Amino acid sequence: MTDLYGVLGVFDTPERATSAAAHLQQSGYSNFEAYTPYPVDELNRIVHPGPKPFLPILMFVAAILGAGWGYWIQYWDEVVNYPINVGGRPHNSWPAFMVGTFEFMLLVTVAIGFFGMLAVSRLPKLYHPIFEAKSFARATRDRFIICIKATDPNFDLASVHDVFEGLGAERIEEVRA
Amino acid sequence: MTMSVTRELPADAPVVGPDVTLTSLSHEVSNRVLMERAPRWWWVGFGLSFPLFILFVIQLAWLFNYGIGVWGVRIPVAWGFAIAEYVWWIALASGGTIVSALFFLTRSPWRSATNRIAESMLLSAVPCAGMMPIMHLGRPGFFYWLFPYSSVMGVWPQVRSPLWWDFICLICYILMSIFYYYAGILPDLATVRDLAQTRFKKIFYGVLALGWHGSTRQWQNQRITYAIMSAIMAPMVVSVHSVVGLDYAGGLTVGWHSTQFPPYFFFGAVISGTAVIVMLTILVRWGYSLQNVLTEYHLNALAKVVLTGSVMLGFAYVWEAFGPIYGSDVAARTEFLQRMFGFTAPTFWSEKILNVVIPQLLWIPFVRRNQPLLFLICLGIIVGMWQERYTFTISGLANNYIPSYWGVFYPTVWDWAALAGTIGLFLTMFFLFLRFAPIVSIAEVREIIEEEKSK
Repeated sequence: MTDLYGVLGVFDTPERATSAAAHLQQSGYSNFEAYTPYPVDELNRIVHPGPKPFLPILMFVAAILGAGWGYWIQYWDEVVNYPINVGGRPHNSWPAFMVGTFEFMLLVTVAIGFFGMLAVSRLPKLYHPIFEAKSFARATRDRFIICIKATDPNFDLASVHDVFEGLGAERIEEVRA
Repeated sequence: MTMSVTRELPADAPVVGPDVTLTSLSHEVSNRVLMERAPRWWWVGFGLSFPLFILFVIQLAWLFNYGIGVWGVRIPVAWGFAIAEYVWWIALASGGTIVSALFFLTRSPWRSATNRIAESMLLSAVPCAGMMPIMHLGRPGFFYWLFPYSSVMGVWPQVRSPLWWDFICLICYILMSIFYYYAGILPDLATVRDLAQTRFKKIFYGVLALGWHGSTRQWQNQRITYAIMSAIMAPMVVSVHSVVGLDYAGGLTVGWHSTQFPPYFFFGAVISGTAVIVMLTILVRWGYSLQNVLTEYHLNALAKVVLTGSVMLGFAYVWEAFGPIYGSDVAARTEFLQRMFGFTAPTFWSEKILNVVIPQLLWIPFVRRNQPLLFLICLGIIVGMWQERYTFTISGLANNYIPSYWGVFYPTVWDWAALAGTIGLFLTMFFLFLRFAPIVSIAEVREIIEEEKSK
């Protein structure tokens, strides 16, 4: 049994996949994942319930750090390291530094957001056991796949097959680890 | 379909054709990328663009070798085509981000099929914009002195200057646009990967897709990040083009030294960027036979954005005249009269006609659906916007405070080569995007299909 990653069921509509996921959850399965060609909100809420504040908070922190970094570069330049008197203006002429601060803030936010998104999505990772499944390719096109993992405490090969059949899965396939 | 000339598309008109399904959409868009041989029109288009790109390289070599004396720029008109075209290109690019980011935030259904065209367009236009000031530098090898880093030279850029702000804006804009584009295209690359037949293409798109498998967790992360990115890109692009306006407003030159420049520039970005997107959408729709995915609904909506931009620009033109005429500065008034009736009169008046008068035809619903007419109007806007950038760049310098210091500007063949060359760079890059990346956001159009079903 150790070489089994899980069992997947293929559904042809988002509604079927959503109700199947709801049913799995009610029957006590906790470790399953859905693969869809586009984000299906209800399905997302069933598989991973609760708020997801990590990325927004990460990007907010990045914004503050980016703004601080941007201002610091300009402050270091104009006040500390290379002060030039331009018509008697103050060295720390902060209104003139705002554009640079703003742009650095946005750049750092977007960059951290992008790499943060990849990191929490475990990307880049070119191999995943699910790619071995024959029916998986259609999950990036027109099918909605639910995969119950072998690590689920309720996992039992025979009963999982029955459950998927009962839920109206088009195809059922075992995924090797 | 017979529709009266004045009837608007019904509010519930289909965004995508009724026979588009999840299966057919994925195949149709991916096959354009994966097909063995590019269609003949692609080769014709690429074949026309690539020589222009070669011209770009040649004029660059000529310019860097002999210096900007090969251009028509002289004292007093020291800012010529290069700066005007820098503004022109960055406006086209900014328009792409506006369509893509702003209308993502408004959840406009027509944005989903056109945003990739808009983003491919902007990524092709930004290098053209970026090259212009570097070409204009005179000593282009030193452009990196603008980077704020602790160099051994011990000198720093002057960060109080709008020119430095502009440099930072452009650099940040390019990088952020790449992140934004990539965050959006990732799921589509996975679709292409899973449809690829040959080993090389499987590996190529497999690596580009980074192992995306579309689990609910990945979708949630992608959607959250993409939404926040959109909310950032929209104000970002306003800042980029406003700061380009500050390049002018920060100078003491007559006709430039005005607070109206940032919004004036931004309105120009809205109209010219959207106009290019309309033209490219019409061409892509025809070339790739995507009439079902890029429908009348999209063109109708984009045409309305163009019309809105035209009205806003008309407002800016009123202020352009009102400021110098109402104000008490004799030099500013003289400069404006010279702009209207002097050396720049032809481009001044044709720009007003092409950007504001002719686009008013778009009030008529029939015109918004008539592709040849729409294409011509948008082409006129692009030309008109180029003339606008040219006119105010030249005329401020040509008619400065002291009449004995007045002069004119005559472009040389190398000025025109720089224009033609960057157009070649733009088209070459866009044709490559067209060939190697999905040109319609497949994942987002899938959602539109599901919404249409439940209508």
